[in-house]
Amino acid sequence: MSSFEKIINWLPALLNATGTTLILTITSVVCALIISIFLALGKISKRRIIKWPSTAYVFFFRGTPLLMQLFFIYYTLPQIFPAMNISSKFLAAFIAFSLNVAAYLAEIIRAAIQSIDKGQMEAARSLGLSYGQAMRLVIIPQAYRRMIPPICNEFIMVLKDTSLVSIIALTDLTFQTKMIASNKASALVYIPAMAIYLCLTAVFTIVFDRLEKKLSVYESNE
Amino acid sequence: MSLIRTVDICNKFGSLQVMKNVSLTVEQGEVVAIIGPSGAGKSTFLRSLCGLEKITDGEIYVDDELLEKRVDGHSQLHLSHEKRAEMLLRMGMVFQRFNLFPHKTAIQNIMLAPMNVKNESEKMAREKAMALLEQVGLSDRADDYPARLSGGQQQRVAIARALAMEPEIMLLDEPTSALDPELVGDVLAVMSDLAKSGMSMLVVTHEMGFAKEVADRVVFMCDGELASDEPPSEFFTNPKNPRARQFLSSIL
Repeated sequence: MSSFEKIINWLPALLNATGTTLILTITSVVCALIISIFLALGKISKRRIIKWPSTAYVFFFRGTPLLMQLFFIYYTLPQIFPAMNISSKFLAAFIAFSLNVAAYLAEIIRAAIQSIDKGQMEAARSLGLSYGQAMRLVIIPQAYRRMIPPICNEFIMVLKDTSLVSIIALTDLTFQTKMIASNKASALVYIPAMAIYLCLTAVFTIVFDRLEKKLSVYESNE
Repeated sequence: MSLIRTVDICNKFGSLQVMKNVSLTVEQGEVVAIIGPSGAGKSTFLRSLCGLEKITDGEIYVDDELLEKRVDGHSQLHLSHEKRAEMLLRMGMVFQRFNLFPHKTAIQNIMLAPMNVKNESEKMAREKAMALLEQVGLSDRADDYPARLSGGQQQRVAIARALAMEPEIMLLDEPTSALDPELVGDVLAVMSDLAKSGMSMLVVTHEMGFAKEVADRVVFMCDGELASDEPPSEFFTNPKNPRARQFLSSIL
């Protein structure tokens, strides 16, 4: 069998595992986005009781390795609280990634919100809008567009970081690749595997670019 | 009954005193121009009225109702959230840098607050917004985003946006200072029309022509103090205050 034929033969298994990589990335980024909006608003808040927990959260999840957090959720938690035994590797990975990525996204969202001119909040408040209304109707819609490039960056990082889950033996693209490499005693399998990662990042880069252009309609002068 | 009355309002920032014991009364229908060198506390005064800046001492009344009373930075008054919001809405604010919402079209800028604060229907808000755009001469630009409007047009939309909340008095903070010279005229014309229609106005401005022709009173502020308050005819021909005299000679 030629090298090329070998690679073709491995593709179905690799693509199958790619599904896990993709679903894990998308679900955990979506979940992280929801958590991070609250974290970002918390960090911006002037009230200490809201600000402090959000700040501590971000400090913790940015300050410890993602791999350790994954181990902690999958191995340590069940040991301390038997009730928290997460039997599904996917679920453990999903939780670890959601919590970790939320910390990074929170910083992105906070920075985007704070980059909006102070005059926007003043104008909104002087028209009688409440703080919440001003955020929802005026500040956050403008911050969206500025968030897209760093969120795209983060998304691609997560896509690649999901290869860490191979260490808890969740069958993602990296795990499958390693399996084939050892079973078939051929390191050639890393070539199609990397090509798949590249294709995925390319697709997402294009999608985010489109989104950014669509959202920046009002900023053009033409 | 006075529309706005301040009694000895101050703004201290550590040892820096931005505003010292400013007492001013604006009656219904009056147009008051506030003039003075930069750093005189003019903007701080205007922004204090509508709650964008906290005073540290003094009292602010709107329609003879107490809105704010502070001593050494501590509030001496407990107004309900709703009452305070309602009183603040009697003042419409126009900013030097327009502060239009860039992600909304001109008409959406005007409709946003009536629909979300007063719960007006979209149809009603749109009709009112169209009439206001007509009033400021921009009915043909209703669906343009602010980025496509000139500075003067943006400021006219901003005036319409403030008017949409039906304030009793308009506070304008250097409304023409950020504009190219050739665009100033249109905005001043809108302001003059507004004054003629009977709207009460408090305008921080460097436009001496506007102060001379439209204002009922000219207030001169300097070093955080209200240095003089007189009709424009006197202020521009024979100012009582020596610092005002100096200021006028430096700009004319």
